[in-house]
Amino acid sequence: MKKTLLLALLMPGVLLANAQDAAPSWLENSLYGNGKINAVIAVIAVILLGIGGWLYRQDRRLKRLEDAQRKA
Amino acid sequence: MKHWWWKFLAIALLLVASIAALRVPLSPALVHVSPSRIAPGEVTIEVTGYNTRFTDGMQAYLVNDSQYVCPVRVDVIDASHARIIAEVPAGMRASMTDLVVQGLTYPGAFFTEGLGEGIERGACGPRANKLDPSGLAFTFPNRSILYESIRNLHFHVPMWFTMIALMGLSVWHSIKGLGDGSLDRDRKAVSAVHVGLLFCGLGLVTGALWARATWGAFWTNDVKLNGAAVTALIYLAYLVLRGSVADAHKRARLAAIYNIFAFMLLVLFLFVVPRLNAIDSLHPGNGGNSGFNDLDLDNRLRVVFYPAVAGWVLLGLWLYDLRERTARLAEQLDR
Repeated sequence: MKKTLLLALLMPGVLLANAQDAAPSWLENSLYGNGKINAVIAVIAVILLGIGGWLYRQDRRLKRLEDAQRKA
Repeated sequence: MKHWWWKFLAIALLLVASIAALRVPLSPALVHVSPSRIAPGEVTIEVTGYNTRFTDGMQAYLVNDSQYVCPVRVDVIDASHARIIAEVPAGMRASMTDLVVQGLTYPGAFFTEGLGEGIERGACGPRANKLDPSGLAFTFPNRSILYESIRNLHFHVPMWFTMIALMGLSVWHSIKGLGDGSLDRDRKAVSAVHVGLLFCGLGLVTGALWARATWGAFWTNDVKLNGAAVTALIYLAYLVLRGSVADAHKRARLAAIYNIFAFMLLVLFLFVVPRLNAIDSLHPGNGGNSGFNDLDLDNRLRVVFYPAVAGWVLLGLWLYDLRERTARLAEQLDR
């Protein structure tokens, strides 16, 4: 039963995949045209934001300690 | 200056590796061929290339079970688009026909109808001297599905190398700390785990983005993915465990013992379980799925990949250094 359901869910995808073969023009432009470079840009953005955010928090932490040191 | 040369090295390695990772072009390849089915008679084939330089008079032919079908006409539309008109004979042997353009093969391009005992071999096979028609000297492999996203190898994978290096450093300090009961070791261990978790998070998110571009989903129930997620949770629990013990010496000992088990589980979940042959995995290098190292001319990737790994690991150690010194200052100020 589960397998039949899964198959029914997958079927439109399979049909769609075949349909795309017949009409490459828009697909060509969006997928092959820029060759998935957007995935690379997104990954680099995540890494820079992640490390940048971590450094920002570290900076804040250090600032708090400096303030405490000054008061002491 | 003497003691922080490695920070300059980190910057230099990251600079060189990142520029190379983004600037090296992909090798030329055929990325789309239409139609997907051919029958005996005249057929018009539209070919789309990537980074190709199609030129008038270029070589193109069909291959069916090492028998060649020569085209009637080849019209080059631009550097990456061409129209090939061929007279498909009846009686080809194999059900799949490949297409070769300018020495680039699109394997299994056509479902072939009208099979038989073989055809008269066309006089247009591969040429002896296979010069790269693109004239590109150093390129990355161009793989279907991956395409340009193969560059993520130099960003996503070093995140995990860095995370494992930091967790390794942490467990080393934990073991040493168990021996001498020093709180310095405990501080170093927890600092390394903290930065390691940052890289673990970055590895998970970058992996999810790459998966979306290649597998079609941000997350799949893959053994490697779940193993990585469980590892992240184990180390988060390490931080929670530390937070729940008030006495510093007791906390250091407990955390060190937990850390040793955590590292063993990391090795288990990231390296042992995903490599079991009984388990299927989409992730390269796991469960019967090949890694990138058996891509053709993989050394092109390695030249950039190893400097990238070294650079990111050094950057991770740099962040760890900052974290550890901040923590030491906090201890001195008793905060």
